[in-house]
Amino acid sequence: MSTAAWLTTLQFAGVSALFALAIYASLWTGVLSLAPVFFGAFSAFTFAYIVSSLGLPPALAFAICIVLGAVVGAITAALLIRLESHYLAMATIAMVLIGRVLILNMPELTGGATGTRVSGDLGSWLWLIGTLVVAGYVMGRLGSSRFGLAADAVREDPAVAETLGVSPRRIQFVGMVISGALGGAAGVMQASFLQYIGPDTFYTHLGFVSLAAVVLGGAFYWLGPIVGAIVFTILPEILRGPMGEYDRVVTGVLLVVIIIYMPRGLVDMRRMRLLRAKWAARRKRGGDSTAEGAERPHEDITAGARS
Amino acid sequence: MQLLIQQLMNGVALGSIYAIFAVGFSLIMARMGILNVAHGTFATWGALSSYWLVSQFGVNFWVALLAGVLFAGILGVASDVLAFEPLRRRKAGTFAPIIASIGIWIVLLTVAEAFAGPSATSYPAGSVQTEAFRIGGLVILPAQLYSVIALIIVVTGVHLLLTKTRFGAAVRAVSSDTRSATIVGVNARNTLIAVAFLAGAIAGLAGVLAALADNNVSFNLGEALLLKGFAAVVVGGWGDIRGAAIVGVAIGVLEVMSAQYISSGFRDAITFGILLLVLVAWPRGIFRERQFVRA
Repeated sequence: MSTAAWLTTLQFAGVSALFALAIYASLWTGVLSLAPVFFGAFSAFTFAYIVSSLGLPPALAFAICIVLGAVVGAITAALLIRLESHYLAMATIAMVLIGRVLILNMPELTGGATGTRVSGDLGSWLWLIGTLVVAGYVMGRLGSSRFGLAADAVREDPAVAETLGVSPRRIQFVGMVISGALGGAAGVMQASFLQYIGPDTFYTHLGFVSLAAVVLGGAFYWLGPIVGAIVFTILPEILRGPMGEYDRVVTGVLLVVIIIYMPRGLVDMRRMRLLRAKWAARRKRGGDSTAEGAERPHEDITAGARS
Repeated sequence: MQLLIQQLMNGVALGSIYAIFAVGFSLIMARMGILNVAHGTFATWGALSSYWLVSQFGVNFWVALLAGVLFAGILGVASDVLAFEPLRRRKAGTFAPIIASIGIWIVLLTVAEAFAGPSATSYPAGSVQTEAFRIGGLVILPAQLYSVIALIIVVTGVHLLLTKTRFGAAVRAVSSDTRSATIVGVNARNTLIAVAFLAGAIAGLAGVLAALADNNVSFNLGEALLLKGFAAVVVGGWGDIRGAAIVGVAIGVLEVMSAQYISSGFRDAITFGILLLVLVAWPRGIFRERQFVRA
């Protein structure tokens, strides 16, 4: 692959990482949602429209779109958060489908079936890396905050969380709002890089692939979705040479193998802690320690939450 | 008035295909606790394999249909043995199988796209009867008739199988409490594999019928079936075979009616918009959910 092609691939990896983080934000609170695809579509088309029609500076438009994404996330949460897990997942998929139809049928705003060109130059490395760093920093800080602890508790067991004085619905609401803001940012980035968005840019495929990236990378730590998205975007490119049109087969097989053998994903902080403890113990006793934590039950991303 | 009746019939015929798919999907989801995203690709492969037999080898359409159904069933078993079984053995929760099914979905869709090519094709002319029946001013296509008949057979068959046979009792036992079922001598693994075959085969049937109805075999044929089938299962009540079938037919009617009387462009938005409203109003589906707790 040429350097230019690699750079493009890396840019898409960065955008995927933002989408994956958006899915992670709600999954963190035990909610499986593909709504970030809808948030992304909403913000991307809004961005294209306000930059070209109202002539707003792209940076300002970007900020507006992130806020709008969060607002749409809040509305979604208010309507849907009380649904049970499978129903909620279905409802968010329905949102994505409706989004596509709306895009097709509002040509004066979205360009309809032909899509629309995106002017506004946020499609640079500086913006992408800056957005990712800010998003990663915020998620990292949230991880050790009161919200993060509450979200962990809600994911593990909402009933127990409730007895501890945490309101699962409120935590899930906040998770969905963060998901909306991140999804909005991801949508604008996607639009800026592609410079063209159409009805198929934000569709179910994007949702499934982003979700897969979260799982591949690890859904228990904010770095997981980023690593997962990068691996998931780059791997098919590397395989395209030897595999041709079957490149994605490996991705699919990898997904199945990982969920069976590494259910906590590539970035697994608990495994790292266990390994570190094991090494420390071995150093202390001079090798030959019994493996702690070797026997652990297979865990799930939403670990028994809301099913 | 005649137009209304005609469109109602078209809607029922279209909905029958969704309903057939939803019945198999419901089996997998409620009995095995798996939200199988790959289920739509079983339908695609049912259609693709039968098309391949008809177009390449001139096989009789009905024989090819049977082969397509069998092949889809085998895909169902293969995915169960290769992905879902290991997850069950590791006592994975409800979410890991969804991810595994996304993996299977990616694999099967990629191979289908490479195999079928990006453009859609149709069964060769003359391989199946296409001349419409006319009753009074109404037009019924053979494909529509086949879909409705197939739905009746599938719903009755699956219902009888689950309620009247030993196998059905085993399925119900395994889906409510696998361990207790095993203790009283049910072979849980074989039962689940049989369910996976049945569900896959039903998906394959829906795929062939959808390809026939649209006169169009394409690699992403299963996607619409998956989404509408999922909607039917969710709204119809988790695990309620007849509920899924009724809602499946209703979705077809709704789709045709909104295309005729409101706007064809907004067809899917109306369908899924109503679905969203139904979910918000009845968070557990219209027909009350029957709980299946998997141990």
